[in-house]
Amino acid sequence: MIIKKPAIFIYTCQADSRILKEVCAGIEEEGVFFEVSEQKEEDVDALAWQAANDSMPGSGIGICRTTAAFQMRGLKKGRNVESYQNPARQQSRKLGADSARAVKKQAFK
Amino acid sequence: MSYIAGVDIGNSTTEVCIGEAGRDGHVHFLASASCRTTGTKGTLANVHGIRTALKQAVGSMGRQMGDLSLIRLNEAAPVIGDTAMETLTETVITDSSMIGHNPSTPAGAGQAVGELLLIENLVRAKQGVSYIVAASSAHSYEEVASLLNAVSGRLTITGLILQADEAVLVENRLTKKIPIIDEVARIDKLPDGVMAAIEVALPGQTVRMLSNPYGIATLLKLNAEETRTITPIAKSLIGKRSAVVLKTPGGNVRENVLPAGEIYFHAKEAGRESTHAGFSYSHTKEAGRESAHADISSAPFEDFHSAGSSERVSSVNLDEGADKIMRALEEAGTILDISGQPGTNVGNMLSRIKRGMGELDKTEGADIRITDILAVDTLAPVLVSGALAGETCLEKAVGIAAMVRTQKLPMQEIASQLHEELGTEVTVAGVEAVMAALGALTTPGIMLPLAILDMGGGSTDAALISRDGNVAMTHQAGAGELVSMLIETELGLGDRHIAEQIKKYPLAKVESLYHMRMENGQMSFVEESIDPRFYGRVVLLTEEGLIRIEQDIPMEKIVQVRQEAKRKVFVTNAFRALKRVAPENNLKNISNVVLVGGSAEDFEIPEMLMEAFAPYRIVCGRGNIRGSMGPRNAVATGLVLSYVGEEK
Repeated sequence: MIIKKPAIFIYTCQADSRILKEVCAGIEEEGVFFEVSEQKEEDVDALAWQAANDSMPGSGIGICRTTAAFQMRGLKKGRNVESYQNPARQQSRKLGADSARAVKKQAFK
Repeated sequence: MSYIAGVDIGNSTTEVCIGEAGRDGHVHFLASASCRTTGTKGTLANVHGIRTALKQAVGSMGRQMGDLSLIRLNEAAPVIGDTAMETLTETVITDSSMIGHNPSTPAGAGQAVGELLLIENLVRAKQGVSYIVAASSAHSYEEVASLLNAVSGRLTITGLILQADEAVLVENRLTKKIPIIDEVARIDKLPDGVMAAIEVALPGQTVRMLSNPYGIATLLKLNAEETRTITPIAKSLIGKRSAVVLKTPGGNVRENVLPAGEIYFHAKEAGRESTHAGFSYSHTKEAGRESAHADISSAPFEDFHSAGSSERVSSVNLDEGADKIMRALEEAGTILDISGQPGTNVGNMLSRIKRGMGELDKTEGADIRITDILAVDTLAPVLVSGALAGETCLEKAVGIAAMVRTQKLPMQEIASQLHEELGTEVTVAGVEAVMAALGALTTPGIMLPLAILDMGGGSTDAALISRDGNVAMTHQAGAGELVSMLIETELGLGDRHIAEQIKKYPLAKVESLYHMRMENGQMSFVEESIDPRFYGRVVLLTEEGLIRIEQDIPMEKIVQVRQEAKRKVFVTNAFRALKRVAPENNLKNISNVVLVGGSAEDFEIPEMLMEAFAPYRIVCGRGNIRGSMGPRNAVATGLVLSYVGEEK
């Protein structure tokens, strides 16, 4: 039996390191696991959608350069729950926290 | 063939009913409609709402406004209701002596004692002294963690207070684990160098040490006298997941009792208000078509007693609570008028609604009195003054609905205005309670004697029709609007509109994008994914879809507050009203109760009343006007029926 860790997947493509760091901090503060992996895909909608579908709890984030999006499994590609272009520090943090809250079945911030 | 329209102007809704009067004295009902009352009941502003409702009804028949041959307005009961809320207590924290709140993600667990030290002053710290460090959001989690790690070998740091929501982030980077409280907004108010005790509860628990006076005494080394003064702090920390208590000389938590003012009851000797109207009524169903005729021989008018020498004044202070106020009201006897102590909130409220009624009834020397109030105890979450983390405290409050009446509302003016605009004949006919009774009698399965309970937005009215056609009636303060106000304050919503929605619709919690759990535990699955905006939220299930409740309040709590508010107002008022109209003031002498009015449509109020009346062997249920309209439209239907009676 293969047991997957219930982690949020973060698919990146040349992601801005400051954004990625704040997103991860947001997830960590909520106490949820996450895994980051670099992809070839450059479309942020596709990154987020794929991450959500690959993640065991169905919560994924895509970050391409300075664009970030949060998706949940079951939603159509492009219909992101939350997305930002050039997010501020607090916005990146919120995006991460919300993806974790989705796993915890809590309301978003 | 002539079309007759009955129009009922209520406190919150205007309802119309259109019937076709046949030559044989039978009525065929053709259409009905309702819309929101425009302006205060009994004012010219109502005309707009009446026209809208009439247009709707006529439109549904495929006819023109001009086809109406007569419009009958109800002689609206000259009463309007108003509500007010009065907070009785206030909690004040002096000297920033404590923090107690429920941050969503504190870190670590356990308790610690130490001297408060701002992170900027870390270099000045002495060895061998325990410190609790406070860091503002200007310092990032990495900075805080590395600063603390650097000194962990040299200094004793036992706890941490953060302004930002970063407790877990800091804890994950600390080499030595300590309890951490975050989201403390006013960290700048923390005094440097003061002894403090900090506690973070274990997962799923609440603080134990700091909610216990002896626990605080143990941690802060207090003597017996100091322990006594710290008790209110311990009390106010009960149920919190994290807390800080500071040992400041003047620090305390005080509950102030606010001066609330007195209510004065002007009463005469005990008696029962009763009016008589002889009318006979018969109701038959022929070939699936409904017909009825009625005959009103005399319209009842309520008796106004002038305040003579027999007037007795009693008073009660608002801060004694709702029970005492209601008992004082009952003991006062027949109320002639109610007033409040000038200059207080209750005094202002009572004079405000009197003034409001004065604007409606412009007749010379109008006799305007407040004849009933309903007081309800409630708790309102209020932001504690002096709090450091936005803590709220449940303060005692009293909600009050008052009922003001005059002799007559200027209905005739509305009638002539309507006549001018539409060119149709408009008459003012029939007293509201009698019309409601007539309408209610079209409910299948009903017989005389019958009590009707008209639960509207502003008032709860009861009428009892005896077998020989005598009508006794009463108007009580407090109905749907008071319920909305109670829901608004108890949940701390600060928005009347959402409170009204909560009153009207059942709740659900969206648990995933594809399912939600109803308030009764039932699960509901959907084909198309639910909008993520609703994810994890408590929502209202309305006809137009979901409405999100912004505040983070558990569904169970909202359900409990909603049901409690409805019980406090409607069950209390139903008993009060029916007792007043019942023969010998005894509920056992009533056998049938029909619930009509907007609040009878509610999804749980009728069931609550049925339960409450069960021990009295009363048949009680939601009316079904004309066997099809539900509890609405009773008065409008009565107006059309009474026309036929008069014609004969």
